[in-house]
Order: sequence, then structure tokens, then C-alpha cells
Amino acid sequence: MGRLLQLLLRNGGFVTLVFVELFCFMLIVEYNTSQAVIWANTTDIFGGRLMERRQRVSDYFSLQGRADSLARVVDSLQERLSYARYVQVPVRDTFYRITWDSLTASDSLRRKHVRPLYEYVSARVVENSVTGVNNWILINRGKNDRIEPHSAVVTPDGVVGIVRHVSDNFSIVMSVLHSQTRITASVDGTGAFGSLEWDGKNPEVMSLRNISKHFKDRIVPGARVVTSGYSMMFPRDIPVGIVEASPTEDSENPHFLVVKVRLGQSMSGITDVSVVHNLFSPEIDSLKSKIKR
Amino acid sequence: MNSSIFPNIWRFLGLILGQGLLLKQVVQTVGSAWFNIMLYPIFILLLPVQLAAPYLVLLGFAVGISVDMFYQTPGVHASTGAFAGFIRGMIFTAFAPKGGFNAKDPIFAPHYVSWQTFLSVSGVFFFLYLFWYYSVEAFTFVYFTSIVLKTLSTWSITMIFVILYAALFNPKQ
Repeated sequence: MGRLLQLLLRNGGFVTLVFVELFCFMLIVEYNTSQAVIWANTTDIFGGRLMERRQRVSDYFSLQGRADSLARVVDSLQERLSYARYVQVPVRDTFYRITWDSLTASDSLRRKHVRPLYEYVSARVVENSVTGVNNWILINRGKNDRIEPHSAVVTPDGVVGIVRHVSDNFSIVMSVLHSQTRITASVDGTGAFGSLEWDGKNPEVMSLRNISKHFKDRIVPGARVVTSGYSMMFPRDIPVGIVEASPTEDSENPHFLVVKVRLGQSMSGITDVSVVHNLFSPEIDSLKSKIKR
Repeated sequence: MNSSIFPNIWRFLGLILGQGLLLKQVVQTVGSAWFNIMLYPIFILLLPVQLAAPYLVLLGFAVGISVDMFYQTPGVHASTGAFAGFIRGMIFTAFAPKGGFNAKDPIFAPHYVSWQTFLSVSGVFFFLYLFWYYSVEAFTFVYFTSIVLKTLSTWSITMIFVILYAALFNPKQ
């Protein structure tokens, strides 16, 4: 203790200087505009690096979970690949299936029958919110990775959102938990479809609105809800969730039904997502512009 | 030591008012980025030689924050004043003759030390002071060249005023 006191006394000037300078530093960045701007920029740069480092550490500890989630992505891709390997070839009044691998690149069948409509780009979620009325997600893929606005974002368990803004290396995704989100979805096996919206309350439940009334008895709790494919953004049959309760009359629009849908993908625990880009969207857009006035 | 309190208080007030009301106006009238006068740090230089470093730092801070009120730059002069209070002791040690400055000399002024020593010490002191000041003002070393050039131009003008001050007032305690 005595030694510490001696040390302080001997270096009193320096210790005082450190404290006074710290205080001055606070004054400067608090009350001087130009210095405050520089400081804010510096903290942004270093803060970003620090966050990234912290993320790397926490990533290490969640590796098991990420491996599981990636394994599921691989499973679903393999499943899709298995279908893609077979081509249905119509001959007169019947079909037969041949494996895709047996066709050569110049084979006309390959060009005619299998034409990928969507491109998948895997991405990682960097930032995510579920607590607001309008939630956004930041992902680590951007223009350089061929991501474009109005692409769908999905996981093997459900839909995540729609890309709205794109920078070189990052994209901002409008979460399904956003008051503006409208996704066309259908109840699997019934043909009933409607518009999937969020009322801003429970982040695990969304509403499927504008369902025709004659589907009332055919929609039962537990039925799968999938994307309908009536949209350029979302491919058909991407899982959304399950019907939570029997349909009720929509209080806002009494001619239609509303169904509560429990989301298959927990929006608070997303790590890996796939961005789905419709390869024909420019062509479809230009075609559609012909009927717009 | 007690007899030196009042002259220092007058010097404190006089230099702050002179800096904040007079020199600031002169500099604003000239209106060039390369023309600046910073005379008030001479208060820190003229504090009693035997004063301990923590007091120098705190008094440097006090004179700086007072000037900040005139310049509306809270913390910038205060930080520089505290720094100046800290380095004064080091510069004295570097320039002191063998055995240190005469303990009987109450303050570091041309009346007690030679003009040559006074100018060397105050030259280094003001250079370091101004370099710190312009660094804090820019708040980034991206403008390092501009910081050094401003330091040199302000230093050369300020040193004229330091000589005038020491010659006119000839401070003794």
C-alpha cells in the first residue's frame, strides 16, 4: 500500500494528466461538432471490427448449431438435386424419366426441359430484429454476389423476407415481420391461397388473409402452409408454417377468411439463409410493363 | 510561496482576458488560417518553479478551460493546458544547468535566468504546446502536414508576443 502511494506521488503529474485528459476528451467529443464527427466515424470503423471479432468468437461457440443448420440446408439441396436429375420426357401420350447426368450439354432435351428459374445464393445473417413493428435483417451478401433487390430470402424451414436495399457486400432484407410484407401463400393440398401479413404482435404467428369463404371447412389446424408460386419472387412450395387454428371471418374484410399461421422458421434464431433470385425477372418485368399504363 | 499567489492570480486573469477579448479579436480581424497568437500559456511557464507536477497539470487545465469559454471549444484548450503543465517540468529538467535551476529563483523569467535560456525553454514549450493544440483541434493525424505548418506559423508569431510580454512586464514573482 505504501509503495503504491509512493508510486502515485512520484508519478502524480502523469496520473493527474491522464485523468484530466480523459475528462477533456469527453468534453471535446461531446461539445465540439467537428471532433465529434471524426470520433463517431472512428468508433464506427473500430466498433465494426470489434463487433466482427466478437461475432467470430460467438460463432465458434455456436458451431454445433450452425453445423446442424447447414446439414439441413445440404439435405434439402440434395433432395432438390435428386428431382433435378430426372427429366420427364413426353413421348406420344406417355412420359418416361431419364437421368439428367446422361444428357450432354448440347442435347436439346437439356435446354428444353430443364431451365433453372431461380438462382440460390447462401448468406449469413449479420443483424436481425424481431421486436419492432417493422423489422429488418442485414445479410453478408450484396451486389458483388449477384444479389438484387426484390429477391426472396428463405431457409429450409420457412420464408424470411424480401431483399430491399443492396450495397456492394451487404443487403438489407425486409423481414416477414414487417407491416408492409405481403407474401402470397397457400394451404397445401386445398388450393386456398391468400396474402401473408404480420399484425406486429406475436413474432411467431402471421395471418393469411383474403382467403375465399368456400375453403372454410377444408382448412384444418395443422395443415402445411407453403408459398403459392403466384409471385415472381418466391418459388412454389417453400414451407411457411402450419395452420394454427380454424379460419375465422376477417373483421377488416368480412367477405373473406383469415387464418393464423405459426411460422416454421423461428425468426429470432436465423443464422444461414438462401437468397432466391428469379433469373427471368428482367424479362417478366418488361413483359408486364406492356399492360401497365 | 504565499507572496507569489497574488501575482499569479492577476496574471491568470489578465492573460485569459487578453487572450479571449483582445488577441482573439486581432486574429479574427486578420482572418487567416495561418495567423494565430497563443500568449496565455505563458501563465503556465511563469508558475513557481518549485510547484509540483499535479498542480501544474490542474492549473494548466484551469487556464485552458477558461480560454475555451471565450473560444467556444470546450476541452480543446483545457486538454492542451493540462499537457503543457505536464511537459513544463520535463523541459525545465532538460534545459537546467548542472544542479538544477537556482531554488531561490521563484519563477522562470528573464529577470532570473538569462534571455537565452528563457527563449530556448519557451521556444520548445510553445512549440510542443501548439503542436498538441492543433492536433487536438484537427482530431486526426490525416492532416499532419497542415498541423505542423500551422504550428510553425503560429509559433513564430506567438514567440514575438512572448518576448514583448517578458520585456514589457518583466515578471519577477
